[in-house]
Amino acid sequence: MRTAKLSKHYGPVRALDQLDLEVAAGEVFGFLGPNGAGKSTTIRLLLGLAQPTAGTAHLFDVPAADVASAHRHLAYVPADVALWPQLTGAEILELLARTGPGTDRDYQAELVDRFALDVNKPARTYSTGNRQKVALIAAFATRARLLILDEPTSGLDPLMEREFRTAVREARDRGQSVFLSSHQLAEVEAVCDRVAILRAGRLAEVATVSDLRRLHRTEIEVSFTGELPDLETMPGVDTVETVAPGHIRFSLAGPPGPALWALVSADIATLSVREPSLEEIFLAYYGEAIR
Amino acid sequence: MTAVHAEPTAPVVTDEPARSARAVTALTVRQVRRAAVLVTALAAAMSALVAATHASTIGNAAQAESLTALAANPAIRTLFGEPTNLADPGGFTVWRTGIFLAVLIGAWSLLVTTRVTRGEEDAGRVDLLLAGPLPARHLLQRQLAVLLTAAAAAGAAATAALLASGTDPAGAAVHGTGLALTGMFFAATGALAAQIFPARSGATGSAVAVLAAGLMLRMVGDGADALGWIRWLTPFGLTGLTRPYDTNRWLPLLVLAASTAAMTAAAVFAGRRDVRGGWLNPAPGRPPRLALLDSVPAFALRRMLRPLAGWAAGIGAYFLLVGLIAQSMITFLADNPHFANLASQAGFAGLDAVEGYAASLFALLALPVGGFAAARITAFFADETGGRLTLLCAGPRTRRWAAGAEILVTAGGAVVLVLVAGAATAAGATLSGAPLSVAESLAGAVNVLPVALLSLGAAVLALGVAPRLMGWISAVPGIGGFLLLVTADSVNAPHWVAQLSPFAHLARVPAESPHLTAAAVMLLVGSTAVFVGLTTYGRRDLAA
Repeated sequence: MRTAKLSKHYGPVRALDQLDLEVAAGEVFGFLGPNGAGKSTTIRLLLGLAQPTAGTAHLFDVPAADVASAHRHLAYVPADVALWPQLTGAEILELLARTGPGTDRDYQAELVDRFALDVNKPARTYSTGNRQKVALIAAFATRARLLILDEPTSGLDPLMEREFRTAVREARDRGQSVFLSSHQLAEVEAVCDRVAILRAGRLAEVATVSDLRRLHRTEIEVSFTGELPDLETMPGVDTVETVAPGHIRFSLAGPPGPALWALVSADIATLSVREPSLEEIFLAYYGEAIR
Repeated sequence: MTAVHAEPTAPVVTDEPARSARAVTALTVRQVRRAAVLVTALAAAMSALVAATHASTIGNAAQAESLTALAANPAIRTLFGEPTNLADPGGFTVWRTGIFLAVLIGAWSLLVTTRVTRGEEDAGRVDLLLAGPLPARHLLQRQLAVLLTAAAAAGAAATAALLASGTDPAGAAVHGTGLALTGMFFAATGALAAQIFPARSGATGSAVAVLAAGLMLRMVGDGADALGWIRWLTPFGLTGLTRPYDTNRWLPLLVLAASTAAMTAAAVFAGRRDVRGGWLNPAPGRPPRLALLDSVPAFALRRMLRPLAGWAAGIGAYFLLVGLIAQSMITFLADNPHFANLASQAGFAGLDAVEGYAASLFALLALPVGGFAAARITAFFADETGGRLTLLCAGPRTRRWAAGAEILVTAGGAVVLVLVAGAATAAGATLSGAPLSVAESLAGAVNVLPVALLSLGAAVLALGVAPRLMGWISAVPGIGGFLLLVTADSVNAPHWVAQLSPFAHLARVPAESPHLTAAAVMLLVGSTAVFVGLTTYGRRDLAA
């Protein structure tokens, strides 16, 4: 899947601006961004549900607009799953299997079991989570080469969330690519190989999760018995805070050697080094705008 | 430390429940106002127009008397109601427009009621409203107040128009009150159905069934003297029993008002239920029914079957009745040949033979069949805005193909409906002994198919170009064309005005042979509209 300068404007609003993205076969790709950043717009353009204002999107080297070809290898879970209220779960799974890109019925039955979905109920009675389960089961049970999942776990409980992560890994093991738009940063951290961060319709970053961490500051907390060395002037050290007498916290970018050497002289009692979570990285990208 | 400059301000607490109640009223007004204005304007305009053209239609008292004799025929009475005082402009207007307006106001009232009550609940928007301080019962009461007022306004508009036309005030008041109460009765019926059934489709369907049954009872009561008392059981019969511009009876209105009040009270009482629940909840689970799920066209057919059965039942029942009373009509007109001439002057030309009679009534068939087609495309768009199409559109097919399948299946449904109408008429005619063959009957019914397909074309055009205006655009060929023809005839408009209506080009099959050229032109226009609509639909962004 790749896009080139993909843009979508709604009047003066630039919902998506010049997005260049490439997802390789067999990759689990996380797509992050706050509400209104353009994640769902991107997915609608990829699916050919909306036409780009400018730029191109290709799926398997087929233009995204050629849906009859492109969708032969694709399965999709919308953010807000709407189902025909009078059909039961089993009937909807049958419909999607018969009209979709080809389904592994045995795996489908297994997924119904694992996600604990009562397929004999009409969709009218399903909660948000159950509707998501129907769409997820239908998508994971396909042998499509690309799964596009738009915030697929927002209504799932932690047990089902775990099943979801297992299903994503199984998909990757089968060689399927997964394009996962999500707010659940822990989930993205757990399953994604690479992550794109979208901000106000523009791409802010594309990197592996570990590279993202490296780009960001590590937080170090130290308690000591000796004299506090002058850390403020050291390269890479920032925001030194005194938590309590003999107990400081500071953030660090780059190699930790020099700062640690300086602290040795202060007789370290305890030391904790914490890498930033994706959540903190995420907040670092967007937080400034809010504060 | 940050200094606090401003004194902390306490939020201004107002009377929260009262304010949210007012907000709900305002919301309901917004939801219904546009259509309410249209229905009210239509009630006023039709009443004023027919009253104003009374003199040119009836001419003199002798003609009115002859028309009264014709209108007293059981068959004519079955179709158009019992005439009261045709010599009076007001009485004539009541006869010509009364039932039409009563059905229009009643049907609109119940449809809009189930839409703003159960429809909003189905969509989950009511949950948001009820998270505020407003209790669910008050929400229903507020909505009902607005809906009942809207129905009353339509009736009041008819009274105002008739008063402005200079007709007898008492008759105008009785007629308008009857229309208003009919609308209010069906708004309450819709509200009650919306409490009983846990989904909008069930609520609307059952309320429409009540309306259709009421109309049938009225027809039986008007048609058969021995069963005249049946009219006390239906709003349409009760409004007839008031005899506006004649005896102006208020007792039937009191009965209707009491029934409306009882129905409203029942709806409010039945409103004590769980939100999103109902009194008739379906079984929580059932084994899967996997038929017609194997392709997109098959699924379109599956979704159509139930509504098609409803439409077929209604249309079939009506045209069975048309066939059943055919013989009575023909006998009467054969015995009184001079009425044929009068009938044609009054707008019912060619009723002197069963073929002409059947042709006149088949022309009306284009309206429900076109309505069915437009309703299916409207439902398709509702699936789009509701996000239900998204999963199908993510499958390996173009959107144009999916919509094309829906259109073809709908066109098939329209064909089924005209065949049902033709067969029902033939069956009724056979039972009553009228000389109308099955082939003639089917030919007459199929003859109106191009007009219905024009409605389908208009709906598809709207789907691509302006889907939010689909209701209006799809009504142009059918309802618009019909009203244009009737109006143009009534006000003696220039010839070309009436020619704009597709109904002007409809041959009177089986009395005449079909206008194949006109049919071909209509099919061409309809197909072009479908083509343009589909092309645009494939290019535009999917809603929702």
